[in-house]
Amino acid sequence: MNKDMLVIGGGIAGIQSSLDLAEMGFKVYLVERLPSIGGKMAQLDKTFPTNDCAI
Amino acid sequence: MLDVGRHPNIELMAYSEVEQVEGSAGCFKVRVRRKARYVDEDKCTGCGACREKCPTDVLDMYNEGHSTRKAIYSWFAQGIPSTHTIDPDHCRVLQGKKCGVCQKRCEAGAIDFEQKDKIVDLDIGAIIVATGYTVFDPGKIPEYRYRDLPNVVTAVEFERFLSASGPTHGHIDRPSDILARREIADLEKEESRLQKTLARYEEKAGATSQSVFETFAAETATPEQQQWMEKYREYLPLTEKLAALRSKAEGFATAKRLAFIQCVGSRDLRFYPFCSGFCCMHSIKEAIIAHEHENATTSVIFGMDIRAVGKGFDEYKVRGGNKSNITYRRSRVAEIVNGPNDNPVLVYEDTQQQKVVREDFDLVILATACAPNEGMKDMAAILGIELNRFGFFKTRPENPLDTTREGIFVCGCAHSPMDIPESVAQASSAASRAVQTVTVTPAKLLKIS
Repeated sequence: MNKDMLVIGGGIAGIQSSLDLAEMGFKVYLVERLPSIGGKMAQLDKTFPTNDCAI
Repeated sequence: MLDVGRHPNIELMAYSEVEQVEGSAGCFKVRVRRKARYVDEDKCTGCGACREKCPTDVLDMYNEGHSTRKAIYSWFAQGIPSTHTIDPDHCRVLQGKKCGVCQKRCEAGAIDFEQKDKIVDLDIGAIIVATGYTVFDPGKIPEYRYRDLPNVVTAVEFERFLSASGPTHGHIDRPSDILARREIADLEKEESRLQKTLARYEEKAGATSQSVFETFAAETATPEQQQWMEKYREYLPLTEKLAALRSKAEGFATAKRLAFIQCVGSRDLRFYPFCSGFCCMHSIKEAIIAHEHENATTSVIFGMDIRAVGKGFDEYKVRGGNKSNITYRRSRVAEIVNGPNDNPVLVYEDTQQQKVVREDFDLVILATACAPNEGMKDMAAILGIELNRFGFFKTRPENPLDTTREGIFVCGCAHSPMDIPESVAQASSAASRAVQTVTVTPAKLLKIS
């Protein structure tokens, strides 16, 4: 059985999944269509309900 | 994001697409196409010297088309990886013309116009699909005239306006004013070009264009005089147009009366019947931030109801109403029409007053639905999984993150519309489901034997 993981999409969900898997010791391949990861969240200025910076 | 770039266990394949998935849970064979960036990832330091001299301007979709980037670009300033990318559709060299300025400017020698796509084959145990969503195209709703009225924008566009790194540096300039300013700049360039030409004629003839124009008779004029007057005839209406635009621009101010329209494309039987979940909250957030930026800002949020369901969400809504000049109006806006000064006029029925009202605003923001990605159909075909009736990935009722194929899991807005905390929670759940797939437990061994 192969233990390497593939995450498709580098938005907030893909980033979180990748980090969790990597922290657990798995090798993760994170594939993103655009030149940089971040997804929709990287376009946001602040997030609710705390008005924290998105990036 | 930075952690992903740095983590020794994560191999980041940005600007890449999954092309083929074969095998089954525990032993998938995956083919990934790493698209050519025409920039060497190992050499590029992300300094940005290349883009300073790039002659080609392209609409910047990170800013929703409200600013321009160069043909060699980074998706956004803090992007990970910071490697720049050449847009093959717009780069002069890749379109067969002469240029190559970026190659001369790059001190790291990272530009490689000969680079080709690379195919990478991977052996994978489990797959997590987190392909996200797309913003509903409000142009599909004719009564909101999104394509015709410049001052009707989507919530993501407005978010970029609010951002200090956005096209207006955080000031809420109205798109119609931005367009007019751009037109003034273009006309000024044209004006100075014509002025130079006229000055040449004037110096040669020793007379002003005006005086020659007054006594000009086409029959007796020399060919040179005719050319001169032709230019002068171009110049006159241009100056008039420029003066009119300039006097109009003096009255330009940032948008202070904002209208937010909820459920654009969602909870609408013509498009998506579901509730997108986060739009009520992001409209409130945007209204609060706009008010923080400019205290004179007032906002009206038009919606059937405000769905502030979540930890601290309702308090946030109430605080917005009390401290950030937000009015919540129960209504479904019927139509947006153009008013004087490019102000969008909303026609709606105020259901509490039981009256039909026409009210004009500086800027209208549409809370667009969370729609399935256009690429989801292709992705489902590649992965061999099914979509649900709305176009999101289909999941099993008993295991809500499991797709219809074992070993493939889904999380975030590719699953269904959800906000950031929910996406993060689901992402962690999907990660643990993926680990369960590849871990051999005594119970699994028993099942096999």
